[in-house]
Amino acid sequence: MFGRRFDSAQLHTTREAMRINEQMKVRSVVGENIVIMPAAGKVDMTKVVALNESALHLYNSLAGRPFELSDAVEALLREYDVDEATARRDAEAWIAEMRENGLITD
Amino acid sequence: MAEALLNIADLNVRFSGDISLEHALNIPGMRTFLIPDGAPDIEVRLDHPLQAAPFHEVHRFEIADGHSECRVGIDAEGAYIYQFGASSLLRYDERRPGEVCLSTMEQASYLRFALWVAYSLPGLRMGRVPVHSSTVVHDGRAVMCLGESGTGKSTHTRLWLKHIPDCHLLNDDSPIVALRDGVPTAYGSPWSGKTHCYRQEHFPIAALLRLEQRPENRIRRLGTVEAFSALQPSCPPSFAQDEHSLDLLCDFISGIISLTPAYRLGCLPDEGAARLSHHTLFCNP
Repeated sequence: MFGRRFDSAQLHTTREAMRINEQMKVRSVVGENIVIMPAAGKVDMTKVVALNESALHLYNSLAGRPFELSDAVEALLREYDVDEATARRDAEAWIAEMRENGLITD
Repeated sequence: MAEALLNIADLNVRFSGDISLEHALNIPGMRTFLIPDGAPDIEVRLDHPLQAAPFHEVHRFEIADGHSECRVGIDAEGAYIYQFGASSLLRYDERRPGEVCLSTMEQASYLRFALWVAYSLPGLRMGRVPVHSSTVVHDGRAVMCLGESGTGKSTHTRLWLKHIPDCHLLNDDSPIVALRDGVPTAYGSPWSGKTHCYRQEHFPIAALLRLEQRPENRIRRLGTVEAFSALQPSCPPSFAQDEHSLDLLCDFISGIISLTPAYRLGCLPDEGAARLSHHTLFCNP
């Protein structure tokens, strides 16, 4: 009866809680922080993702608990001298890339 | 009990067993590595009375040309179990790091692979890892060609043997890599695939060369993360299937790639490819 409209795209990116894949483990290899994801089938499908400094910082801040985009933005603002718009952009990019690699799940 | 001592990649390996010892020593290449005496670093107990018991499976793959399966897992005590075929077992408990137990194999053809596993499990803890590679030696240094089966590793090393002077093959399938006095080194081994190349020798590694079939010959030096990705798939696949083994393997790979250059070689199966890789590795250090 009381129909309401939501901006569904907005809802999707800002409200949804996600988690870092619990199977994800960061290992240091000659000074690089990498995540290895063995493929279930062929060995040569093993994927290796390298985390740069800010990606590692986000991982360390957000691993082990559900979080939202705002948590990622806050983590960047706490650590780096950037404005909110930049932090938000970087946080969104990080989430997108982690999702693409199967490292963030809903 | 009948026993024999071998030295493989500077580790003394003692095989013991009443039924299977002779079979083990008759595997082509094995006798090349026999030594008269020494204190064993690794004990391989053949014909051991292992009981079948449930285990948490982490990996499964085909063996014996697809006729059977090997299942890998961890048992109730935390030991690694490899089951070859229906009932042949290998058990490795890291709390006894130098000891591996094998039941009598139901098929003689399983024994060669089972012994490779038996070496590699304690070997990893002792800094020795078999790497799937065709390895050629030139000017006293080893060039390790890596790549999926069928990509042309053996073809490339054969081209070196044909066109580059002062070369010989060290191993065509599974040389063993270790740090020897801090120097990444490739060792010959009793496991060389279909090529009978069994050499009790070792050489410092000139480079890791990951091959891909391409319409033209090009070579590119790899950075750290790419070098890791080049070497890791050539290490025993089971080591990537549980967290602890992967930790150990990453430490090992770190040690090697921090000291050894790695390249990606896209190439044709021709003389130009061998000349390109030789020139890059040996003429432009």
